[in-house]
Amino acid sequence: MMPRSYYWLVIGLSIPAFLWLIPTLWMVSLSFQPNEILARTTSSTFFGLIPLPFTLDNYAALFSFGQTPYWFLNSLIVSLGMTLAVLFVSTTAGYALARLDFPFKRTITVICLLGLMVPEQAVFIPLYTMFADFGWHNSYHALILPRVAVPIGVFLMLQFFKAIPKDIEEAARIDGVGWLQIFWYVMLPLARPAMMTLAILTFLYAWNDYLWPLVSAQQREYFTITLGLASIQSNFAQSEGLGRVMASGVIASLPVVLLFLIFQRYVVQAMTAGGSKG
Amino acid sequence: MRGGGGKTLSQGQAAFLLLLPFLSAYALFLVYPFFKGVWISLHDWNLLAVAFNPDAKEYVGLRNYERVMWGREIEWSLMAAPFWQGLGLMGLVLSFAFYRMDRLSLFNAIALGLASALLVFLPGFHPGEGGRWYDRRFWPTVGNTLLFVGLAVPGVTITALILAAMLSGQTRAMSILRTLFFLSQVLSVTVVTLIWQIMFSPRQGLIANITGTFGGTPINWLTDQQFAMAAIVIATVWWSLGIAMILFLAGLQDISRDIYEAAALDNATGVKAFYYITLPNLKRTITLVVILQIILHFQVFGQSHLMTQGGPNDTTQVLVRYIYQTGFRDSELGRASAMAVFLFVIMGAFSAIQFIVGREKQ
Amino acid sequence: MKHLILATTAATLLATSLPAQEVTLGRFFGACEDAGTDTTTSTGEACIIQSIINAADAELDGVSITTLPTDWGNYYDQIKAAYAGGTPPDVHVMHRHRVPEFAGLGAIADISADLEAAGIDSSDWAPAALDAVSFDGGIYGVPMDFHANLWHVNMDLMEAAGLVENGAPVLPTSPEELLEHAQMVKDATGQDYLAADFAQFPIGVRLVLALMWQQDANIFGEDGTATIDTEAGRNAVTAITQLFDAELANPQLNYADSQQAFLNGEAAILVNGTWVVDFYTAEAAKEETGLDSYYVADFPTLFETGATWADSHMWAIPSSLEGEERAAALRVLAFINDHNIDWARTGHMAVRTSVIESDAYTSLPHRDEYAGTASIARDTPPSERYGAIQDVLNRELQAIWLTDKDVQAALSDAELEVQDLLDR
Repeated sequence: MMPRSYYWLVIGLSIPAFLWLIPTLWMVSLSFQPNEILARTTSSTFFGLIPLPFTLDNYAALFSFGQTPYWFLNSLIVSLGMTLAVLFVSTTAGYALARLDFPFKRTITVICLLGLMVPEQAVFIPLYTMFADFGWHNSYHALILPRVAVPIGVFLMLQFFKAIPKDIEEAARIDGVGWLQIFWYVMLPLARPAMMTLAILTFLYAWNDYLWPLVSAQQREYFTITLGLASIQSNFAQSEGLGRVMASGVIASLPVVLLFLIFQRYVVQAMTAGGSKG
Repeated sequence: MRGGGGKTLSQGQAAFLLLLPFLSAYALFLVYPFFKGVWISLHDWNLLAVAFNPDAKEYVGLRNYERVMWGREIEWSLMAAPFWQGLGLMGLVLSFAFYRMDRLSLFNAIALGLASALLVFLPGFHPGEGGRWYDRRFWPTVGNTLLFVGLAVPGVTITALILAAMLSGQTRAMSILRTLFFLSQVLSVTVVTLIWQIMFSPRQGLIANITGTFGGTPINWLTDQQFAMAAIVIATVWWSLGIAMILFLAGLQDISRDIYEAAALDNATGVKAFYYITLPNLKRTITLVVILQIILHFQVFGQSHLMTQGGPNDTTQVLVRYIYQTGFRDSELGRASAMAVFLFVIMGAFSAIQFIVGREKQ
Repeated sequence: MKHLILATTAATLLATSLPAQEVTLGRFFGACEDAGTDTTTSTGEACIIQSIINAADAELDGVSITTLPTDWGNYYDQIKAAYAGGTPPDVHVMHRHRVPEFAGLGAIADISADLEAAGIDSSDWAPAALDAVSFDGGIYGVPMDFHANLWHVNMDLMEAAGLVENGAPVLPTSPEELLEHAQMVKDATGQDYLAADFAQFPIGVRLVLALMWQQDANIFGEDGTATIDTEAGRNAVTAITQLFDAELANPQLNYADSQQAFLNGEAAILVNGTWVVDFYTAEAAKEETGLDSYYVADFPTLFETGATWADSHMWAIPSSLEGEERAAALRVLAFINDHNIDWARTGHMAVRTSVIESDAYTSLPHRDEYAGTASIARDTPPSERYGAIQDVLNRELQAIWLTDKDVQAALSDAELEVQDLLDR
């Protein structure tokens, strides 16, 4: 039985929580209203928060001849590709740094650690010229690779692997199992929760990244949804109509919101882990 | 490897093999670009000209740094920015006094003293008679970025802390409320700016629509110099509250229930308990959140670039946007890189502090 | 000549037998995703240009066109980034004011030798159009239009204020008269006299520039000396700020808001470009729009000489493009050149003499109302730093009307910064 004050707290907090949700609700609601109405007023029914008059035209238009589906697909490819690549380099390197002995281990660890101090914005210009020299711009790997080099994933995995008791792999060593097999058959299965955390952290980052795609992708084939949305909203003439733009926004947000709602526990862990380590 | 070559790899060989993918990516896409950035900053380097003719760059030493950060006839005086410098002097005196009174540890006293000394020192520079900054926009841009950080960080931290303290209950209702507050965090910056651009619009915006029905005149949020910065701060707080709240919730889990129960016996509940128990116990988490937010918001770009285009009159122009413009609109990669190095130095300093604070626990 | 025909036929045959040549196309103007291929009925810049592109894609054998989505705000940043990255679009639109920068570096191709083979007759271009695409003795693109600042007029509001004579609006001839008219509109209708985007894009800058040119002054000379903090500069600025001071115009409207204000019937005059004439015509015809009686006027002369800001859109191809790709790109340019009349439907002024003299052109809505604009079109002297200079002016002028910066201080700051840019 909860004390009375608890119910007051819940009710009291529901109001700000609802207010917090309003901007998102408004976007969703506008995306279901006809453009002709929106051109004149955005507050038809209850400040526009209720989608009346209702229409699905904006979504229909988006999927019949819009570029949004392509951008969506690109974002998916880039985000999944980046997630896989980051998982691969982070688990391997994290395992080596956490559990293997080799020369210059300390030095290498410190050198990797220093990389945490370099923000993306401090290297995007030289990265740009470098990728230009290679002729790599407007490609999926150009959008993926820079993030693979950021050592945060390595440190998340390193900390995880460090916490695993020594005797697990000692038993395997006595049976003459090689280090790579231990990594693959023993350590990776154990690391699943940490990998999940890292995967979500990376996916969210990839889906939402703006600055690097902005300078690297100039062709439609390689626009991500985040970039596409930016291009829609800064158009000189908004010929598409507010409803369509908002529908694109909803489509762009759907995967991350779903990802969040389904894997909420992991997302929270990812944020905590990613947050406290930079 | 067993089965493969008939013998297993040594530990060193295995480590080398496992480290290779990351280290090569790291060297190629982070370490090398970092040093190349410094190298570019020492050149007069036009984006297009160098692309068409690699020899079109010219080594100019530190001139880009001078052109960005310095000026003609720059003088230093204690009266250039009396408010900030006065604040700095006060900080110096206080940090010394508190240290002598044992209210501050040596480490904290030195940190506070150093920050105060910088506050006395840096704003003291100003162009003297007939002088001027070579780049009139750079320092104001840094100032805007600091202002943005100075508004967004406390805004996010305080709201998140209060919400976390109230939402820490382990019930279903609390969990749903947490989800609602957290939801906006996963949206991308372009969705956030899309929503808030329309929200703030004096003609189509929800805010104007609501105030309009009560007879208020709509505010031109994004084009009025008094409100533009506030507008992007509001959008930012709305967007990035979640992560701070999550970190605080994690910190709250670590505080033992017993302390609250003991305090409840002394009639310390609610606000009192928050002040005397929660806050002191969350000190380290708060520090971490604040530093994390400083690092995060110092890199602000999208909100300014998409919502206000840096305007009106440059009041929301921020450092990363200035770097982007200098590099890609004005094609001056050398100058842009010099600014990027400046950004790195500041961010690096905060990262180092974060690292030290983070280690203190262990 | 026979040679040429043979070569063209051969090229065409070759092209049809080969898989379609992919042409990437970069443009601004905004997105129009359902433009279709009918070039004669679409409205608005975005949809008209996209319908022309779609038609080219459908009608040109062996050419398939991919339009790159490039928004306005970042267009030149992105085009530059694309050039520097070695992946420029095969065909892209640009302004004449960017020619010194792009042609000077050798980024865009001199196509003077290709025009005839591509079926583009440069002698049909108006002299000013040829001039727009010429640089250092070469031709660096195909001009598509002249566009200029106009005064878009709500005749109902003007009528109510007694500012209509013989079916045409009475426009001011001096800064004093401007204030007078503005007061008359306010008194009669309670609405603002003038609206424009003073808060976002450099439309306010173009207004001030026009008023400086009208006094035979300019922001910098051909010799590279900035001359902004001058009598003429102050006159130009105060002619506008007097309206803000008297609350007869609102400086805080951005592009979309100022347009909305005009369409809602909340402003008698909107200062905006030629690109919206057909859009406003269509809006005025609608029942629900506040604007009912729409008129387009030349930018009035408030000082000695007539002048209004003008520029040209043109299409260029990168110098790196060769062989088949270049040929395909040129065919796209020729197709756009052939559809000059369709583009003119936006309200822009055509560049081909044969089009300008055609009935189809002269009978376009409102065309006769701003026939004088072509002769008063002006722009700043050519500079590689055009974009940055506009940005400085936009910032300092916004400082004056949005943040009450002292006019003198703003103009002298602008002069210093523009001088810096010119000296760099």
